[in-house]
Amino acid sequence: MNTGYKVRKFGIFAALPLAIFSVVLVLPFAQGFFLTFTNWNGFKYTEFSGVANYTKSFKDPAFWTTLSFTLKFVVVSLVAVNVVAFGLALLVTAKLRSSTILRTFFFVPNLIGGVVLGVIWQFIFNTALISISQRYSLPFFSDSWLNETTTAFWALIIVTVWQSSGYMMIIYITGLISIEQDVLEAARVDGASAFRTLMTIKIPLMAQAFTISLFLTLRNGFMAYDVNVALTGGGPYRTTELISMHIFQDAFAFGNFGTGQSKAVIMFLMVATAALVQVSISKRMEVQR
Amino acid sequence: MKKTMKFGAIALVSAVTVSLMVAAPAKALNCAKPKATVTMLGTIKPEIQDQFLGAVADYNKSQTCFVVKSVPGDRKLTFLQNVTPMYAAKNAPTIMYTLQEIPDMADKVMDLKSTKLARLVSKDLLAAANIGGKQVGVPSTAEAFGLLYNKTVLDKAGVDPKKILTRSDLEAAFKKVEASGAGAVRFSSIWWSLGAHFSNMYFSTASKTKAGRLAILDGMADGKKDLASDPVFKDYLATFELLKKYNQAKPNTTDTEYDLSVADLASGKAGFWFMGNWAEPNLLTASPKTSFGIMPLPMSNTASAYGNGSIPVGIPGYFMIDETQSTSWERKGAIDFLTWLYTSPAGQKRVAGPVSSGGMNFIPVYKGFTIQPETFMAKEISTYVTSAKTLDWMNTFYPAGGQDLYGASGQKLMADKITGAQYAAELEKAWKGSVKTWRGEKK
Repeated sequence: MNTGYKVRKFGIFAALPLAIFSVVLVLPFAQGFFLTFTNWNGFKYTEFSGVANYTKSFKDPAFWTTLSFTLKFVVVSLVAVNVVAFGLALLVTAKLRSSTILRTFFFVPNLIGGVVLGVIWQFIFNTALISISQRYSLPFFSDSWLNETTTAFWALIIVTVWQSSGYMMIIYITGLISIEQDVLEAARVDGASAFRTLMTIKIPLMAQAFTISLFLTLRNGFMAYDVNVALTGGGPYRTTELISMHIFQDAFAFGNFGTGQSKAVIMFLMVATAALVQVSISKRMEVQR
Repeated sequence: MKKTMKFGAIALVSAVTVSLMVAAPAKALNCAKPKATVTMLGTIKPEIQDQFLGAVADYNKSQTCFVVKSVPGDRKLTFLQNVTPMYAAKNAPTIMYTLQEIPDMADKVMDLKSTKLARLVSKDLLAAANIGGKQVGVPSTAEAFGLLYNKTVLDKAGVDPKKILTRSDLEAAFKKVEASGAGAVRFSSIWWSLGAHFSNMYFSTASKTKAGRLAILDGMADGKKDLASDPVFKDYLATFELLKKYNQAKPNTTDTEYDLSVADLASGKAGFWFMGNWAEPNLLTASPKTSFGIMPLPMSNTASAYGNGSIPVGIPGYFMIDETQSTSWERKGAIDFLTWLYTSPAGQKRVAGPVSSGGMNFIPVYKGFTIQPETFMAKEISTYVTSAKTLDWMNTFYPAGGQDLYGASGQKLMADKITGAQYAAELEKAWKGSVKTWRGEKK
């Protein structure tokens, strides 16, 4: 293959996507990164301020509290979403008559946008559950879950699980059905129990699906914003603000564009590191077939 | 001032219809130039969106030089969240409306000092939008907050709001209302109510003079003010505790609180509610035949203490006109529209007329108004204004985002998550290092 051909092929297939990628992602990112070293006020900047925005960000106690709240959210949602999604995948791949309907049923929440979902669940927690609890005297829901930090956290988790597990389920289903039947048959002939088959045959052979799902839920957890805004709005007492919302508030509500932008860069580095570590660990667990 | 304090005047508006070009006699304006489109972000407030758009349509029909168009903002976002991307895209709206972000906008908007509107309004009401001698905004209306009451409930309980002059009088009134079978007071755990309005009760009574009140803000920003040792702050906390004690509902920090409170005051489940006159249309919609009034929130036990018999009256927002991305013809159109709105008979009808007939029920702040709002509460506010029993809205000077923090602390105090002393400490911490925009300082 000569170079001219290669260049032409690159031009045909990659130039356009690359150009779009650069314009909508690389350039704004570079611009944003640049602005963290200036005194940008959302409209313009007049001088360079070195790393002042970063030091200010690290000194902001609210940044650390939101960060620890976000980490807690990421860990819990990561486990919950994947456990539920894998469970659902096992359920719908079992030889059930209703499996197609169930698949659709579990996937549908994913088609609803985060803000709409947040509003729906806000109604459920604030109004519907309270009416039900009054009618049947269930003390558990007598007060809105969004009224207390702890319960509001679990409300966030419930809605996130409800929204994302359908999507992750599809990935797990793909993993499960890609396992060759002869391996499963051999296990059955050898007398392996269903649990044994799951642990030593199915899960290792579909480790790729775990890599993808874990990566996606990890990323989604760190970047969760719309459900947070629409469901709890950061309340009560600003205790359920996740990092994305905190950054947004810092920049646009408080007008601290410099620290808001630098916190966004810090968050990017954190998410990138966490994702790289997770993917490299998961990759090691994948089995070559 | 309502929720709009933070969400500003930005409303989710459907695309505005382009005006009908009915030929009308050109007024004083010489319309030699081609028709210009004047954009305005939002509709002053979401509550009067339809009425405002009606006024815009009326204006567009009344002349042939300009087309005013309201561009929708996202109501969930703050003023800055909406406006910064528009400026970045070189697509800034010509007319903008906000309050606490005025200092942020001062270098981008035009000086309105020499306009007719600025001459028609008192200097005091222009002060908050005068940044370093530049008149960057003109006011929309006046709003007041205090203790709203349901007259039917109070009459039944035998309570005369005019006779409540001290905090202990107020407690006695609460007891009487409770004895009559209703809940005493609704103390809403809404962040903007606690953060902007209730907190203002301290800052606006902390000193008798404006200079003294601004000095308190200086002390807060410098981190030198010790709230706990201030007798006015002690009274303020005692009032907070009193309302908390007689609160007719459990503290509710969710988005349902405003509507639930409206429903409870309107239906007579509560006698009083700490809120402002922007709630009157909501209350009257829920209970059209009831009279809802407003009275001062007495914080001291000395009847003559400063502010005990007054209500905070202020400007919820100012109109600003962009100077950096608009043409001079567009700016002319913006001024012409606002002047029409507040000085022409048709505009005034839209501004001060009742909500039910397409008006915004605004309390006029410009001289020469021939129409006045007719509701019970609006009349009561007029009495306070004419007898000079008003307090400042010191919350006009709060730093952007500050009310979020003071509101969250107020919610914590209401839910007994923190003590009064911790509340004071949180306020001091939230204020420390604030830019003194009231002194003309820039961020």
